[in-house]
Amino acid sequence: MNDFSELETELKKLRPRSVSPDLNARIEVSLAEEAMGRGTATAGVLPKQSRFRLNWFALGLGLAAAATFLILARVNVDRPSKSTGLAMLTPAPITPAAKAVDSFVPSAMTQVLYDTKDEGLHFTDGQNEPMRRLRSRKRETVQWKNPQTGASLRVSYPTEEVTLVPISGQ
Amino acid sequence: MEDVVTHEEDWKSCFAELGPGLVLFARQFVRSIADAEDIVQDAFVRFWRKQHSVNDKGLLYATVRSVALDLLRRDARRARREASASADMEQTTEPQFDFDDGSQRALAAAIDLLPVEQREVLVMKIWNELTFAEIASALAISQNTAASRYRYALAALKKNFVVHE
Repeated sequence: MNDFSELETELKKLRPRSVSPDLNARIEVSLAEEAMGRGTATAGVLPKQSRFRLNWFALGLGLAAAATFLILARVNVDRPSKSTGLAMLTPAPITPAAKAVDSFVPSAMTQVLYDTKDEGLHFTDGQNEPMRRLRSRKRETVQWKNPQTGASLRVSYPTEEVTLVPISGQ
Repeated sequence: MEDVVTHEEDWKSCFAELGPGLVLFARQFVRSIADAEDIVQDAFVRFWRKQHSVNDKGLLYATVRSVALDLLRRDARRARREASASADMEQTTEPQFDFDDGSQRALAAAIDLLPVEQREVLVMKIWNELTFAEIASALAISQNTAASRYRYALAALKKNFVVHE
């Protein structure tokens, strides 16, 4: 079948030109750069080694998820729990019921007067003389403290006070 | 670091064996040794760093071919020059072989006259000793096609070689 055997023999006698030493050096440099950057390469002469390769995308995603979790966790920690807030919002700290709440005791109270409005003279029931009615808007802040744990609770609420001032006869 | 040295010796011995054949194969796409060596450098480094088996010669030659074609595609002007060189090969081509006598020179000239599809099969078969299965794998063709191209190449070569003799 093979009437080309003589030709094939002649062809095999042809020797491809040898590779220039420069090419070897260039490949050496390229592979060395690879080895420095990514670890040494093998092309199957040695068995492949399973090596750890850092997945930067996965690492970044993981860090972002961790950061998000920490931020949310921090927000939740800072936020007062609903049960505590509702229990302490009772505006009667000095009552026995309040005292029963884990020994929180009133420690401070402030009143801020925003304004006082003179609403003029008014006759009230059972009085013969008119009285001047003054309406004051205030904000009261009451603070409780638990001496055992050091925890504190502060409640602030607006108030409105109406005062009747008798008019002195002139 | 010891591993680096060991692997360095590996690629060197591997390339010492395969290098000339790879450059000869690359030369079928470009007409200068410098370009062919550039292609082989790029392809060999790419192949080696992906840790392919050197026994997979089909893939190695496919890598060289791919790099060569990429090079030609990237530079259209260069591609035109290469095409023009293919048409007028004997005037511009650097010798691919070391010659012992005029007969070998004539045989090499006859090889240059072959179409590139036949030349690449011939080069892989004769000087790189690839099987038709490996050639088919490298060129993404069937084994039958690879074998036919080889036979056509030999037939044309015989005809041209006789003429040049």
